[in-house]
Amino acid sequence: MPAALAPSSQAARIGAPARSGRWLLILPALVSLVVFFAGPLAQNAGQSLNFKSGGLLDNYVKLLTDDYYLKVVVETLVVSFNTTVLTLVVAYPVAYFMVRRAGRMALPMLFLLVAPLLTSIIMRTFGWRVLFARRGVVNGALEWLHLIKHPLSLLDGPFSVYVGQVHILVPFMVLSIIPVLRAVDTRLEESARVLGAGALRTFLKVTLPLSKDGIVTGVILVFMLTAGSFITQLLLGNGSIVTLPLLIFQQFALTQDIGLASAMGNLLLIVVLACLVVQLRLTEGGKRSGR
Amino acid sequence: MTLRHIHPRHWGWGLLALYTALFFVFVFAPIAVVVAVSFTAEQGVQFPFRGTSLQWYVRLWEYKPFVDSLITSIYLALASAVSAMILAVPAALYLGRAGNGATATAIASFLLAPLAIPALVIGMSLLYFLSAIGIGVSFTALLIAHTVVSIPYVMRTTLSVYRNINQNLGEAAAVLGASPWRAFVHVTLPLIAPGIFAGSLFAILVSLDNLALSYFFGTANVTTLPVVMLSYMQNQFDPAIAAISTVQMAISIILLLIVEKTYGLRALTTQ
Repeated sequence: MPAALAPSSQAARIGAPARSGRWLLILPALVSLVVFFAGPLAQNAGQSLNFKSGGLLDNYVKLLTDDYYLKVVVETLVVSFNTTVLTLVVAYPVAYFMVRRAGRMALPMLFLLVAPLLTSIIMRTFGWRVLFARRGVVNGALEWLHLIKHPLSLLDGPFSVYVGQVHILVPFMVLSIIPVLRAVDTRLEESARVLGAGALRTFLKVTLPLSKDGIVTGVILVFMLTAGSFITQLLLGNGSIVTLPLLIFQQFALTQDIGLASAMGNLLLIVVLACLVVQLRLTEGGKRSGR
Repeated sequence: MTLRHIHPRHWGWGLLALYTALFFVFVFAPIAVVVAVSFTAEQGVQFPFRGTSLQWYVRLWEYKPFVDSLITSIYLALASAVSAMILAVPAALYLGRAGNGATATAIASFLLAPLAIPALVIGMSLLYFLSAIGIGVSFTALLIAHTVVSIPYVMRTTLSVYRNINQNLGEAAAVLGASPWRAFVHVTLPLIAPGIFAGSLFAILVSLDNLALSYFFGTANVTTLPVVMLSYMQNQFDPAIAAISTVQMAISIILLLIVEKTYGLRALTTQ
Protein backbone atom coordinates (compact mmCIF):
# COMPACT_ATOMS: atom_id res chain seq x y z
CA MET A 1 0.00 0.00 0.00
CA PRO A 2 1.49 3.43 -0.95
CA ALA A 3 2.37 5.38 2.15
CA ALA A 4 0.48 8.49 0.99
CA LEU A 5 -2.81 6.64 1.01
CA ALA A 6 -2.35 5.17 4.45
CA PRO A 7 -3.95 7.90 6.61
CA SER A 8 -7.13 8.20 4.70
CA SER A 9 -7.70 4.49 4.26
CA GLN A 10 -6.89 3.99 7.91
CA ALA A 11 -9.42 6.69 8.77
CA ALA A 12 -11.95 5.01 6.58
CA ARG A 13 -11.32 1.76 8.37
CA ILE A 14 -11.76 3.32 11.77
CA GLY A 15 -14.63 5.52 10.63
CA ALA A 16 -16.59 2.63 9.27
CA PRO A 17 -15.37 -0.61 10.76
CA ALA A 18 -18.53 -2.25 9.54
CA ARG A 19 -17.95 -1.12 5.96
CA SER A 20 -18.75 -4.60 4.78
CA GLY A 21 -21.99 -4.31 6.73
CA ARG A 22 -22.97 -0.97 5.19
CA TRP A 23 -25.61 -2.64 3.04
CA LEU A 24 -27.58 -3.23 6.25
CA LEU A 25 -28.43 0.48 6.12
CA ILE A 26 -30.40 0.11 2.90
CA LEU A 27 -32.21 -3.01 4.05
CA PRO A 28 -35.14 -1.53 6.07
CA ALA A 29 -36.25 0.86 3.33
CA LEU A 30 -35.67 -1.66 0.56
CA VAL A 31 -37.57 -4.46 2.27
CA SER A 32 -40.44 -2.14 3.25
CA LEU A 33 -40.94 -0.96 -0.30
CA VAL A 34 -40.56 -4.41 -1.81
CA VAL A 35 -43.23 -5.75 0.55
CA PHE A 36 -45.64 -2.81 0.70
CA PHE A 37 -45.11 -1.18 -2.69
CA ALA A 38 -43.72 -3.49 -5.37
CA GLY A 39 -45.47 -6.55 -3.93
CA PRO A 40 -48.98 -5.09 -3.97
CA LEU A 41 -48.49 -3.65 -7.47
CA ALA A 42 -47.35 -7.06 -8.70
CA GLN A 43 -50.23 -8.77 -6.93
CA ASN A 44 -52.63 -6.31 -8.52
CA ALA A 45 -51.15 -7.02 -11.95
CA GLY A 46 -51.58 -10.75 -11.34
CA GLN A 47 -55.13 -10.22 -10.18
CA SER A 48 -55.97 -8.41 -13.41
CA LEU A 49 -55.20 -11.53 -15.43
CA ASN A 50 -57.87 -14.10 -16.03
CA PHE A 51 -56.69 -17.61 -15.17
CA LYS A 52 -60.09 -19.19 -15.50
CA SER A 53 -61.72 -20.15 -18.76
CA GLY A 54 -61.30 -17.64 -21.53
CA GLY A 55 -58.28 -15.55 -22.40
CA LEU A 56 -55.58 -14.48 -19.96
CA LEU A 57 -56.03 -10.85 -21.00
CA ASP A 58 -59.83 -10.86 -21.03
CA ASN A 59 -60.09 -7.87 -18.68
CA TYR A 60 -57.79 -5.80 -20.88
CA VAL A 61 -59.66 -6.86 -24.00
CA LYS A 62 -62.82 -5.62 -22.32
CA LEU A 63 -61.21 -2.29 -21.37
CA LEU A 64 -59.91 -1.72 -24.87
CA THR A 65 -62.87 -2.93 -26.93
CA ASP A 66 -66.01 -2.21 -24.89
CA ASP A 67 -67.38 1.12 -26.11
CA TYR A 68 -67.78 2.62 -22.65
CA TYR A 69 -64.41 1.58 -21.23
CA LEU A 70 -62.52 2.40 -24.41
CA LYS A 71 -64.03 5.89 -24.31
CA VAL A 72 -62.78 6.28 -20.74
CA VAL A 73 -59.28 5.07 -21.62
CA VAL A 74 -59.09 7.41 -24.61
CA GLU A 75 -60.49 10.27 -22.54
CA THR A 76 -57.79 9.71 -19.91
CA LEU A 77 -55.11 10.21 -22.54
CA VAL A 78 -56.86 13.10 -24.30
CA VAL A 79 -57.57 15.01 -21.08
CA SER A 80 -53.99 14.50 -19.87
CA PHE A 81 -52.64 15.65 -23.23
CA ASN A 82 -54.85 18.75 -23.38
CA THR A 83 -54.11 19.67 -19.80
CA THR A 84 -50.38 19.31 -20.43
CA VAL A 85 -50.45 21.53 -23.53
CA LEU A 86 -52.55 24.18 -21.77
CA THR A 87 -50.26 24.09 -18.74
CA LEU A 88 -47.19 24.52 -20.93
CA VAL A 89 -48.74 27.48 -22.76
CA VAL A 90 -49.69 29.15 -19.48
CA ALA A 91 -46.39 28.36 -17.73
CA TYR A 92 -43.73 29.15 -20.33
CA PRO A 93 -44.13 32.94 -20.44
CA VAL A 94 -44.08 33.04 -16.63
CA ALA A 95 -40.87 31.00 -16.46
CA TYR A 96 -39.39 33.21 -19.18
CA PHE A 97 -40.24 36.39 -17.31
CA MET A 98 -38.97 35.01 -14.00
CA VAL A 99 -35.60 34.03 -15.48
CA ARG A 100 -35.03 37.06 -17.72
CA ARG A 101 -36.66 40.03 -16.07
CA ALA A 102 -37.63 39.28 -12.47
CA GLY A 103 -34.16 40.00 -11.08
CA ARG A 104 -34.31 40.34 -7.31
CA MET A 105 -38.02 39.50 -7.45
CA ALA A 106 -37.26 36.01 -8.77
CA LEU A 107 -36.90 34.39 -5.35
CA PRO A 108 -40.09 35.87 -3.85
CA MET A 109 -41.92 34.90 -7.04
CA LEU A 110 -40.60 31.37 -6.75
CA PHE A 111 -41.95 31.28 -3.23
CA LEU A 112 -45.35 32.54 -4.40
CA LEU A 113 -45.35 29.86 -7.05
CA VAL A 114 -44.99 27.00 -4.57
CA ALA A 115 -47.12 28.59 -1.83
CA PRO A 116 -50.37 27.03 -3.16
CA LEU A 117 -48.89 23.63 -2.33
CA LEU A 118 -49.66 24.53 1.30
CA THR A 119 -53.37 24.33 0.51
CA SER A 120 -55.38 21.22 -0.19
CA ILE A 121 -56.55 20.37 -3.68
CA ILE A 122 -60.10 20.31 -2.35
CA MET A 123 -59.66 23.91 -1.14
CA ARG A 124 -58.47 25.12 -4.55
CA THR A 125 -61.30 23.24 -6.27
CA PHE A 126 -63.83 24.76 -3.87
CA GLY A 127 -62.38 28.18 -4.72
CA TRP A 128 -63.19 27.69 -8.39
CA ARG A 129 -66.73 26.67 -7.51
CA VAL A 130 -67.13 29.98 -5.68
CA LEU A 131 -65.53 32.07 -8.43
CA PHE A 132 -67.37 30.35 -11.29
CA ALA A 133 -70.78 30.25 -9.59
CA ARG A 134 -73.76 31.60 -11.52
CA ARG A 135 -73.78 34.74 -9.41
CA GLY A 136 -70.06 34.53 -8.71
CA VAL A 137 -67.19 36.94 -9.27
CA VAL A 138 -66.33 35.89 -12.82
CA ASN A 139 -69.89 36.13 -14.16
CA GLY A 140 -70.32 39.42 -12.26
CA ALA A 141 -67.19 40.89 -13.83
CA LEU A 142 -68.17 39.77 -17.32
CA GLU A 143 -71.61 41.33 -16.93
CA TRP A 144 -70.13 44.53 -15.54
CA LEU A 145 -67.88 44.72 -18.60
CA HIS A 146 -70.97 44.15 -20.77
CA LEU A 147 -69.32 41.16 -22.37
CA ILE A 148 -72.29 38.94 -21.54
CA LYS A 149 -75.96 39.62 -20.89
CA HIS A 150 -76.81 36.50 -18.92
CA PRO A 151 -74.59 34.57 -16.53
CA LEU A 152 -72.66 31.75 -18.17
CA SER A 153 -72.71 28.27 -16.70
CA LEU A 154 -69.01 27.89 -16.16
CA LEU A 155 -69.16 24.98 -13.74
CA ASP A 156 -69.71 21.25 -14.19
CA GLY A 157 -68.22 21.03 -17.65
CA PRO A 158 -64.86 20.50 -19.32
CA PHE A 159 -64.01 24.22 -19.01
CA SER A 160 -63.93 24.28 -15.22
CA VAL A 161 -62.14 20.92 -15.10
CA TYR A 162 -59.34 22.22 -17.34
CA VAL A 163 -59.04 25.48 -15.40
CA GLY A 164 -58.85 23.55 -12.14
CA GLN A 165 -56.26 21.08 -13.45
CA VAL A 166 -54.06 23.73 -15.04
CA HIS A 167 -54.20 25.71 -11.80
CA ILE A 168 -52.97 22.75 -9.77
CA LEU A 169 -50.26 21.66 -12.21
CA VAL A 170 -48.83 24.93 -13.49
CA PRO A 171 -46.29 25.37 -10.65
CA PHE A 172 -44.70 22.03 -11.56
CA MET A 173 -44.32 23.11 -15.18
CA VAL A 174 -42.81 26.51 -14.33
CA LEU A 175 -40.40 24.87 -11.88
CA SER A 176 -39.30 22.38 -14.56
CA ILE A 177 -38.63 25.05 -17.17
CA ILE A 178 -36.86 27.64 -14.99
CA PRO A 179 -33.52 25.84 -14.40
CA VAL A 180 -33.11 24.97 -18.08
CA LEU A 181 -34.03 28.45 -19.25
CA ARG A 182 -31.57 29.88 -16.75
CA ALA A 183 -28.79 27.80 -18.33
CA VAL A 184 -29.50 29.14 -21.83
CA ASP A 185 -26.69 31.46 -22.88
CA THR A 186 -28.32 34.83 -23.60
CA ARG A 187 -25.39 35.71 -25.86
CA LEU A 188 -26.77 33.22 -28.38
CA GLU A 189 -30.01 35.19 -28.48
CA GLU A 190 -28.12 38.46 -28.79
CA SER A 191 -26.11 37.02 -31.67
CA ALA A 192 -29.27 36.00 -33.45
CA ARG A 193 -30.65 39.52 -32.97
CA VAL A 194 -27.45 41.16 -34.18
CA LEU A 195 -27.52 38.93 -37.24
CA GLY A 196 -30.94 40.34 -38.02
CA ALA A 197 -33.42 37.83 -36.63
CA GLY A 198 -36.62 39.34 -35.27
CA ALA A 199 -37.69 38.87 -31.65
CA LEU A 200 -40.16 36.14 -32.52
CA ARG A 201 -37.74 34.35 -34.83
CA THR A 202 -35.01 34.49 -32.18
CA PHE A 203 -37.39 33.04 -29.66
CA LEU A 204 -38.63 30.25 -31.92
CA LYS A 205 -35.26 29.33 -33.42
CA VAL A 206 -32.93 29.86 -30.46
CA THR A 207 -34.59 30.16 -27.05
CA LEU A 208 -37.33 27.59 -27.46
CA PRO A 209 -35.11 24.78 -28.82
CA LEU A 210 -32.50 25.44 -26.12
CA SER A 211 -35.11 25.13 -23.37
CA LYS A 212 -36.39 21.85 -24.81
CA ASP A 213 -35.07 19.74 -21.91
CA GLY A 214 -37.05 21.68 -19.35
CA ILE A 215 -40.17 21.52 -21.48
CA VAL A 216 -39.83 17.75 -21.87
CA THR A 217 -39.34 17.26 -18.11
CA GLY A 218 -42.34 19.44 -17.31
CA VAL A 219 -44.54 17.91 -19.97
CA ILE A 220 -43.92 14.35 -18.83
CA LEU A 221 -44.33 15.27 -15.16
CA VAL A 222 -47.61 17.10 -15.77
CA PHE A 223 -48.94 14.36 -18.04
CA MET A 224 -48.20 11.72 -15.40
CA LEU A 225 -49.75 13.76 -12.61
CA THR A 226 -52.88 14.47 -14.64
CA ALA A 227 -53.27 10.85 -15.71
CA GLY A 228 -53.46 9.82 -12.06
CA SER A 229 -55.72 12.57 -10.72
CA PHE A 230 -59.48 12.69 -10.40
CA ILE A 231 -60.49 15.19 -7.70
CA THR A 232 -60.91 18.15 -10.06
CA GLN A 233 -62.93 16.04 -12.48
CA LEU A 234 -65.07 14.79 -9.64
CA LEU A 235 -65.77 18.17 -8.05
CA LEU A 236 -65.77 20.46 -11.10
CA GLY A 237 -66.81 18.18 -13.95
CA ASN A 238 -70.06 16.64 -12.72
CA GLY A 239 -69.59 13.61 -14.94
CA SER A 240 -68.74 15.55 -18.10
CA ILE A 241 -65.25 14.06 -18.04
CA VAL A 242 -64.70 10.50 -16.88
CA THR A 243 -61.14 9.17 -16.84
CA LEU A 244 -59.65 5.93 -15.54
CA PRO A 245 -58.73 7.25 -12.07
CA LEU A 246 -62.18 8.79 -11.64
CA LEU A 247 -63.82 5.55 -12.74
CA ILE A 248 -61.66 3.55 -10.32
CA PHE A 249 -62.53 5.96 -7.53
CA GLN A 250 -66.26 5.90 -8.21
CA GLN A 251 -66.63 2.20 -8.89
CA PHE A 252 -64.21 0.75 -6.39
CA ALA A 253 -66.71 0.40 -3.58
CA LEU A 254 -69.48 -0.80 -5.89
CA THR A 255 -67.86 -3.19 -8.30
CA GLN A 256 -67.91 -6.93 -7.83
CA ASP A 257 -65.49 -7.42 -10.68
CA ILE A 258 -62.15 -7.24 -8.88
CA GLY A 259 -60.27 -8.46 -11.94
CA LEU A 260 -61.56 -5.57 -14.04
CA ALA A 261 -60.83 -3.04 -11.29
CA SER A 262 -57.27 -4.38 -11.06
CA ALA A 263 -56.90 -4.17 -14.82
CA MET A 264 -57.98 -0.52 -14.76
CA GLY A 265 -55.42 0.25 -12.07
CA ASN A 266 -52.74 -1.67 -13.89
CA LEU A 267 -53.51 0.04 -17.18
CA LEU A 268 -53.07 3.39 -15.45
CA LEU A 269 -49.78 2.11 -14.05
CA ILE A 270 -48.64 1.10 -17.53
CA VAL A 271 -49.47 4.56 -18.93
CA VAL A 272 -47.37 6.18 -16.20
CA LEU A 273 -44.49 3.72 -16.60
CA ALA A 274 -44.50 4.38 -20.35
CA CYS A 275 -44.08 8.09 -19.56
CA LEU A 276 -41.14 7.27 -17.30
CA VAL A 277 -39.48 5.17 -19.99
CA VAL A 278 -39.88 8.00 -22.52
CA GLN A 279 -38.42 10.43 -20.00
CA LEU A 280 -35.45 8.13 -19.29
CA ARG A 281 -34.78 7.75 -23.02
CA LEU A 282 -34.93 11.48 -23.62
CA THR A 283 -32.79 12.49 -20.66
CA GLU A 284 -30.18 9.85 -21.42
CA GLY A 285 -30.12 10.86 -25.07
CA GLY A 286 -30.10 14.57 -24.36
CA LYS A 287 -27.35 16.68 -22.94
CA ARG A 288 -26.80 17.21 -19.26
CA SER A 289 -27.65 20.89 -19.59
CA GLY A 290 -30.78 20.46 -17.52
CA ARG A 291 -28.96 19.69 -14.32
CA MET B 1 -29.51 48.42 -20.08
CA THR B 2 -27.88 48.95 -23.46
CA LEU B 3 -29.85 46.13 -24.99
CA ARG B 4 -33.07 47.76 -23.91
CA HIS B 5 -32.07 50.91 -25.75
CA ILE B 6 -31.04 49.09 -28.91
CA HIS B 7 -34.23 47.09 -29.11
CA PRO B 8 -37.38 49.13 -28.78
CA ARG B 9 -39.44 46.35 -27.28
CA HIS B 10 -40.24 47.71 -23.85
CA TRP B 11 -43.87 47.08 -24.59
CA GLY B 12 -43.07 43.40 -25.09
CA TRP B 13 -41.60 43.08 -21.61
CA GLY B 14 -44.40 45.24 -20.22
CA LEU B 15 -46.93 42.88 -21.69
CA LEU B 16 -45.08 39.92 -20.28
CA ALA B 17 -44.92 41.55 -16.84
CA LEU B 18 -48.66 42.17 -17.01
CA TYR B 19 -49.24 38.57 -18.02
CA THR B 20 -47.13 37.33 -15.11
CA ALA B 21 -49.05 39.56 -12.70
CA LEU B 22 -52.35 38.17 -14.02
CA PHE B 23 -50.91 34.69 -13.70
CA PHE B 24 -50.33 35.21 -9.99
CA VAL B 25 -53.86 36.57 -9.64
CA PHE B 26 -55.03 33.33 -11.28
CA VAL B 27 -52.87 31.30 -8.86
CA PHE B 28 -54.12 33.03 -5.72
CA ALA B 29 -57.71 33.98 -6.56
CA PRO B 30 -59.31 30.63 -5.72
CA ILE B 31 -57.33 30.37 -2.49
CA ALA B 32 -58.05 33.93 -1.36
CA VAL B 33 -61.74 33.55 -2.09
CA VAL B 34 -61.99 30.43 0.07
CA VAL B 35 -60.26 32.14 3.00
CA ALA B 36 -62.63 35.09 2.61
CA VAL B 37 -65.77 32.94 2.36
CA SER B 38 -64.82 31.11 5.57
CA PHE B 39 -65.56 34.35 7.44
CA THR B 40 -68.97 34.95 5.87
CA ALA B 41 -71.98 35.86 7.97
CA GLU B 42 -74.32 34.52 5.29
CA GLN B 43 -75.90 31.10 5.27
CA GLY B 44 -74.62 30.05 1.87
CA VAL B 45 -71.49 30.21 -0.25
CA GLN B 46 -71.56 33.47 -2.13
CA PHE B 47 -68.91 35.95 -3.00
CA PRO B 48 -68.97 38.86 -2.50
CA PHE B 49 -70.91 38.52 0.76
CA ARG B 50 -72.31 40.85 3.40
CA GLY B 51 -71.05 40.77 6.96
CA THR B 52 -68.35 38.71 8.60
CA SER B 53 -68.58 36.20 11.41
CA LEU B 54 -66.87 33.16 12.85
CA GLN B 55 -70.04 31.07 12.68
CA TRP B 56 -68.55 28.55 10.26
CA TYR B 57 -65.58 27.96 12.52
CA VAL B 58 -68.01 27.34 15.35
CA ARG B 59 -69.83 24.90 13.10
CA LEU B 60 -66.52 23.09 12.44
CA TRP B 61 -65.94 22.74 16.12
CA GLU B 62 -69.43 21.29 16.54
CA TYR B 63 -69.25 18.91 13.59
CA LYS B 64 -67.50 15.93 15.08
CA PRO B 65 -66.26 14.22 11.87
CA PHE B 66 -64.19 17.30 10.97
CA VAL B 67 -62.50 17.48 14.35
CA ASP B 68 -61.90 13.73 14.60
CA SER B 69 -60.56 13.35 11.09
CA LEU B 70 -58.34 16.40 11.46
CA ILE B 71 -56.78 14.84 14.54
CA THR B 72 -56.38 11.52 12.70
CA SER B 73 -54.81 13.30 9.73
CA ILE B 74 -52.29 15.18 11.84
CA TYR B 75 -51.43 12.10 13.86
CA LEU B 76 -51.09 10.05 10.67
CA ALA B 77 -48.93 12.67 8.93
CA LEU B 78 -46.53 12.87 11.88
CA ALA B 79 -46.42 9.10 12.42
CA SER B 80 -45.77 8.35 8.76
CA ALA B 81 -43.08 11.06 8.60
CA VAL B 82 -41.31 9.53 11.61
CA SER B 83 -41.58 6.02 10.13
CA ALA B 84 -40.26 7.34 6.84
CA MET B 85 -37.31 9.00 8.64
CA ILE B 86 -36.41 5.75 10.38
CA LEU B 87 -36.41 3.91 7.05
CA ALA B 88 -35.17 6.55 4.65
CA VAL B 89 -32.30 8.19 6.55
CA PRO B 90 -30.18 5.01 6.75
CA ALA B 91 -30.99 4.40 3.08
CA ALA B 92 -29.74 7.89 2.20
CA LEU B 93 -26.56 7.29 4.23
CA TYR B 94 -25.96 4.12 2.26
CA LEU B 95 -26.69 5.63 -1.15
CA GLY B 96 -24.70 8.78 -0.42
CA ARG B 97 -21.49 6.74 -0.24
CA ALA B 98 -22.45 3.95 -2.63
CA GLY B 99 -21.18 5.70 -5.76
CA ASN B 100 -22.90 5.78 -9.12
CA GLY B 101 -22.83 2.09 -9.94
CA ALA B 102 -25.73 0.39 -11.64
CA THR B 103 -26.98 -1.27 -8.44
CA ALA B 104 -26.92 1.90 -6.39
CA THR B 105 -28.69 3.84 -9.15
CA ALA B 106 -31.33 1.15 -9.51
CA ILE B 107 -31.96 1.08 -5.75
CA ALA B 108 -32.21 4.87 -5.61
CA SER B 109 -34.72 4.88 -8.48
CA PHE B 110 -36.75 2.17 -6.81
CA LEU B 111 -36.90 4.05 -3.50
CA LEU B 112 -38.10 7.16 -5.37
CA ALA B 113 -40.65 5.22 -7.44
CA PRO B 114 -43.67 5.76 -5.13
CA LEU B 115 -43.52 9.44 -6.17
CA ALA B 116 -44.16 8.56 -9.79
CA ILE B 117 -46.98 6.06 -9.39
CA PRO B 118 -50.51 7.48 -8.99
CA ALA B 119 -51.53 7.35 -5.32
CA LEU B 120 -54.85 5.86 -6.38
CA VAL B 121 -53.11 2.81 -7.86
CA ILE B 122 -50.83 2.41 -4.83
CA GLY B 123 -53.82 2.69 -2.48
CA MET B 124 -55.97 0.25 -4.37
CA SER B 125 -53.23 -2.37 -4.75
CA LEU B 126 -52.19 -2.00 -1.13
CA LEU B 127 -55.76 -2.48 0.03
CA TYR B 128 -56.01 -5.80 -1.84
CA PHE B 129 -52.65 -6.84 -0.44
CA LEU B 130 -53.27 -5.80 3.17
CA SER B 131 -56.71 -7.42 3.13
CA ALA B 132 -55.08 -10.63 1.92
CA ILE B 133 -52.63 -10.65 4.84
CA GLY B 134 -55.32 -9.69 7.35
CA ILE B 135 -54.56 -6.03 8.07
CA GLY B 136 -57.48 -4.64 6.09
CA VAL B 137 -58.82 -1.18 6.73
CA SER B 138 -57.35 0.30 9.90
CA PHE B 139 -55.03 2.99 11.14
CA THR B 140 -52.13 0.57 10.60
CA ALA B 141 -53.10 0.28 6.95
CA LEU B 142 -53.24 4.08 6.64
CA LEU B 143 -49.84 4.35 8.31
CA ILE B 144 -48.27 1.79 5.96
CA ALA B 145 -49.73 3.49 2.88
CA HIS B 146 -48.61 6.97 3.92
CA THR B 147 -45.15 5.76 4.94
CA VAL B 148 -44.61 4.18 1.51
CA VAL B 149 -45.26 7.55 -0.12
CA SER B 150 -43.28 9.52 2.49
CA ILE B 151 -40.05 7.52 2.13
CA PRO B 152 -39.05 9.09 -1.23
CA TYR B 153 -39.50 12.64 0.07
CA VAL B 154 -37.27 12.11 3.10
CA MET B 155 -34.75 10.02 1.15
CA ARG B 156 -34.42 12.57 -1.65
CA THR B 157 -33.72 15.65 0.45
CA THR B 158 -31.53 13.80 2.96
CA LEU B 159 -29.47 12.27 0.14
CA SER B 160 -28.91 15.57 -1.62
CA VAL B 161 -27.76 17.26 1.61
CA TYR B 162 -25.59 14.29 2.59
CA ARG B 163 -23.88 14.25 -0.82
CA ASN B 164 -22.95 17.89 -0.41
CA ILE B 165 -21.42 17.72 3.06
CA ASN B 166 -17.72 17.28 3.51
CA GLN B 167 -16.92 13.59 3.91
CA ASN B 168 -13.69 14.47 5.69
CA LEU B 169 -15.58 15.73 8.73
CA GLY B 170 -16.80 12.24 9.53
CA GLU B 171 -13.33 10.86 8.95
CA ALA B 172 -11.80 13.56 11.13
CA ALA B 173 -14.12 12.55 13.96
CA ALA B 174 -13.06 8.94 13.45
CA VAL B 175 -9.36 9.82 13.46
CA LEU B 176 -9.90 11.74 16.67
CA GLY B 177 -11.21 8.55 18.17
CA ALA B 178 -14.97 8.88 17.92
CA SER B 179 -16.86 5.65 17.54
CA PRO B 180 -18.89 5.36 14.33
CA TRP B 181 -22.08 5.94 16.30
CA ARG B 182 -20.66 9.01 18.08
CA ALA B 183 -19.33 10.36 14.78
CA PHE B 184 -22.77 9.90 13.28
CA VAL B 185 -24.72 11.49 16.13
CA HIS B 186 -22.37 14.43 16.72
CA VAL B 187 -21.09 15.15 13.23
CA THR B 188 -23.14 13.67 10.40
CA LEU B 189 -26.62 13.92 11.89
CA PRO B 190 -26.52 17.66 12.66
CA LEU B 191 -25.24 18.26 9.14
CA ILE B 192 -27.97 16.28 7.39
CA ALA B 193 -30.77 17.39 9.75
CA PRO B 194 -31.97 20.18 7.41
CA GLY B 195 -32.43 17.62 4.64
CA ILE B 196 -34.29 15.24 6.94
CA PHE B 197 -36.64 17.96 8.17
CA ALA B 198 -37.26 19.45 4.74
CA GLY B 199 -38.13 16.02 3.38
CA SER B 200 -40.36 15.27 6.36
CA LEU B 201 -42.14 18.58 5.89
CA PHE B 202 -42.91 17.71 2.27
CA ALA B 203 -44.06 14.28 3.36
CA ILE B 204 -46.35 15.77 6.02
CA LEU B 205 -47.85 18.32 3.63
CA VAL B 206 -48.51 15.61 1.04
CA SER B 207 -49.93 13.24 3.64
CA LEU B 208 -52.35 15.87 4.96
CA ASP B 209 -53.81 16.31 1.48
CA ASN B 210 -53.60 12.76 0.15
CA LEU B 211 -57.19 11.84 -0.56
CA ALA B 212 -56.45 9.14 -3.12
CA LEU B 213 -54.30 7.18 -0.71
CA SER B 214 -56.50 7.53 2.35
CA TYR B 215 -59.76 6.86 0.56
CA PHE B 216 -59.32 3.08 0.52
CA PHE B 217 -58.41 2.60 4.17
CA GLY B 218 -60.87 4.75 6.05
CA THR B 219 -63.34 3.11 8.40
CA ALA B 220 -66.40 4.63 10.04
CA ASN B 221 -64.27 5.44 13.09
CA VAL B 222 -60.89 6.20 11.59
CA THR B 223 -60.69 8.32 8.49
CA THR B 224 -58.68 11.30 7.31
CA LEU B 225 -59.70 14.90 6.76
CA PRO B 226 -59.67 14.96 2.92
CA VAL B 227 -62.01 11.95 2.83
CA VAL B 228 -64.44 13.63 5.23
CA MET B 229 -64.20 16.93 3.33
CA LEU B 230 -64.99 15.21 0.05
CA SER B 231 -68.03 13.38 1.33
CA TYR B 232 -69.26 16.54 3.09
CA MET B 233 -68.84 18.53 -0.11
CA GLN B 234 -70.74 15.95 -2.13
CA ASN B 235 -73.70 16.22 0.23
CA GLN B 236 -73.81 19.91 0.98
CA PHE B 237 -72.16 23.02 -0.35
CA ASP B 238 -71.66 25.44 2.51
CA PRO B 239 -68.84 27.61 3.92
CA ALA B 240 -67.86 24.95 6.47
CA ILE B 241 -65.57 23.51 3.78
CA ALA B 242 -63.99 26.95 3.40
CA ALA B 243 -63.41 27.13 7.14
CA ILE B 244 -61.83 23.69 7.47
CA SER B 245 -59.69 24.36 4.37
CA THR B 246 -58.45 27.56 5.96
CA VAL B 247 -57.62 25.72 9.18
CA GLN B 248 -55.69 23.11 7.23
CA MET B 249 -53.80 25.82 5.33
CA ALA B 250 -52.95 27.53 8.62
CA ILE B 251 -51.55 24.27 9.99
CA SER B 252 -49.37 23.83 6.89
CA ILE B 253 -48.10 27.41 7.13
CA ILE B 254 -47.26 26.96 10.82
CA LEU B 255 -45.34 23.76 10.03
CA LEU B 256 -43.45 25.57 7.30
CA LEU B 257 -42.60 28.43 9.65
CA ILE B 258 -41.31 26.00 12.28
CA VAL B 259 -38.96 24.39 9.78
CA GLU B 260 -38.01 27.83 8.50
CA LYS B 261 -37.18 29.08 12.00
CA THR B 262 -35.18 25.96 12.76
CA TYR B 263 -33.26 25.46 9.53
CA GLY B 264 -34.03 28.29 7.15
CA LEU B 265 -35.82 28.04 3.85
CA ARG B 266 -32.59 27.26 2.01
CA ALA B 267 -32.95 23.66 3.14
CA LEU B 268 -36.33 23.53 1.42
CA THR B 269 -34.99 24.56 -1.94
CA THR B 270 -32.62 21.59 -2.22
CA GLN B 271 -34.10 19.05 -4.54
